[in-house]
Amino acid sequence: MKLNYFKKAVALAGVAALALTVSGCAAAEETTAPNATEPTAVVEELTIAFVMGAESDPFFRAMKLGAEEEAAALGVNLIWQGDPANYSPETQIPIVDAVLAQQPDGLVLIPTDPTALQASVAKAVAAGIPVANVDTRVGDLSDVLIFITGDNEDGGAKAAAAIANAINYTAGESYQVVIGLTSATATTNVARKEGFEKTMAADYPGIEIVDVAYSEANPERAASNVNNWLTKYPDLDGIFAIDGTNASGAAAALEAKGLVGKIALVGYDAYPDNVAKIKSGVFTALIAQDPAAEARLALQTLVAFLRDGTLPTSSEVVIPNVTLDANTSDADLVRYTYVAN
Amino acid sequence: MSSSQQPNLRLERFKAVAGNQNSILLSVLIALAIIFTLAEPLFFSVATAGNILTDWGSIVLLAAGQTLVIISGGIDLSVGGTLAISGVTSAWMMSVVLGFDTTTSGSDAHPPLMIGAVTAVITGILVGLVNGFLITKLRIVPFVATLSTMGATLGFAIIISNGMPIGGPNDFSIISPINRDWMPLSWAVIGVIVIVTIVGLFLHKSRFGLHTYAIGSNPFAARAAGINVERHLTKIYALAGGLAGLAGFYVYLRLGAGSPSSGTMRELDAIAAVVIGGAALMGGVGRMLGTVIGALILFTVQSGLIMAGVAPDWKKVVVAVLIAAAVAAQTLKRENRQR
Repeated sequence: MKLNYFKKAVALAGVAALALTVSGCAAAEETTAPNATEPTAVVEELTIAFVMGAESDPFFRAMKLGAEEEAAALGVNLIWQGDPANYSPETQIPIVDAVLAQQPDGLVLIPTDPTALQASVAKAVAAGIPVANVDTRVGDLSDVLIFITGDNEDGGAKAAAAIANAINYTAGESYQVVIGLTSATATTNVARKEGFEKTMAADYPGIEIVDVAYSEANPERAASNVNNWLTKYPDLDGIFAIDGTNASGAAAALEAKGLVGKIALVGYDAYPDNVAKIKSGVFTALIAQDPAAEARLALQTLVAFLRDGTLPTSSEVVIPNVTLDANTSDADLVRYTYVAN
Repeated sequence: MSSSQQPNLRLERFKAVAGNQNSILLSVLIALAIIFTLAEPLFFSVATAGNILTDWGSIVLLAAGQTLVIISGGIDLSVGGTLAISGVTSAWMMSVVLGFDTTTSGSDAHPPLMIGAVTAVITGILVGLVNGFLITKLRIVPFVATLSTMGATLGFAIIISNGMPIGGPNDFSIISPINRDWMPLSWAVIGVIVIVTIVGLFLHKSRFGLHTYAIGSNPFAARAAGINVERHLTKIYALAGGLAGLAGFYVYLRLGAGSPSSGTMRELDAIAAVVIGGAALMGGVGRMLGTVIGALILFTVQSGLIMAGVAPDWKKVVVAVLIAAAVAAQTLKRENRQR
């Protein structure tokens, strides 16, 4: 009897392990397949290398999708590379070196450090490879063809406006809001918070930011922070969840406490799961970036330069963040959602 | 003569109770509750108790397994990763395989949730069996073996989920306090209490537990005494994995989604709870009740600091001091006893 149980458990374990491996393989195939897309025979076959920050970040996954689409449309080969999980110059510099050894015609680089990656840019340009920066930049842009970025401070300002709008801000009244952060140092967090605070101070002086807390990139901790705030501030009016992790945690906390719709919740990053919660009223609004658009523009600019020598009209382009809320059209919701796979 | 002995006996008894590990931990817990209540009267409330217990639920599951592992003289760094991958496979099973999405709620969600729970536990046990294999068959030290499974589980969690939370069916009432006015426990937390009690009885009242202490105190003597050390260790890591899988499901219930980042650094919280609870990392020493209170202390501090309005940057410092103080107190106690 006991032995039987054990055998069954082992068999079950084996099947599950197999299933895991298969799903892992499937995922790996899916991610590499688009790279192999043959370019529709054009005049000249170009290869563009794209070195991003960290594969595990949904932001870069959405960017990858945009890059792959645009590469297929432009008929160029795309080399997509980057560290699986670590957003750091130590892991990125060797990747850039390896990619440059493949002698691509152009390089799109998301420098993980403005100073540390400067030499890599110089190296590429010295080898006759034009460089575009996306999302983040190297300190000295003189060697860079174009720098395309989203505006996080503007995103924070939009979040402030969305909260004020949701709570029907009236001058003279006083309101309490909190900000859920990931850490004190994450650069995107800092920029978004700054935009949020500036807008509150300038346009909505009645709204007081009563507290901030860190999720340490863990959604359960983000939920726990919100639980504690709800106890400490029974009259809390709004929550700004500064990134995808905080948004997930805050949404779950409000749902568990039955406070959906009673407290304005503005999140960040258009994870599919969170976008679905705009419809159900959990999120007042989500602020989304458009990483796919950033990637598309970078590829277009490089290809135009390589094929016709066209220089971009502006060497720095800022793609604004967008506010997704109940009034956003379904088409736009789909467009901005970070797509899985 | 007899009159002078009586107070002495009483004093001895008082010393025994006061010097008891669990009494010390309970006094620390009570002292913390008083301090935080003085700083913010709202702290002393059913709502706060509910918040703390809800946080406690996931970590105490990890820590219960970790207690057994640490008593056996090992360490399991993979429990955070196991929590993440179990939550993700559970969500994947419910939403991708079975096709239930977030619109399935209330009691309609119960059947898929049961399948999700089983999926999570099986995933956890699998990881635990891999740990056991690496440690007992390939003879890799537990720290390194579980460090590698930690990386693998976190990686697989990202691969399966594409780095984003997978939403699925949920009934948030399972994880919410049963009554907001007088009952801070939720059904999920009650379930956790039952499971941890069973694991605790298993550790302290069964032969399995006795062998665990024996292996942790002296693996050679344990082997000489006829204990199959390899098989026993594999069982312990599988149990720790299964409990971590259950923790993954618990977090799924909290979030209504399987999130690949939900395990981040959780192994350290679990180890902290065990160490504060009085277990020794060299093995052979530790009590389940100590771990349970240790985890409560951790989350009382976490809630208390937010309630008291302490800047979040200070939280890590306070927890660090707490751990150092707990370990120092135990070392001093041990030295006193030897004297």
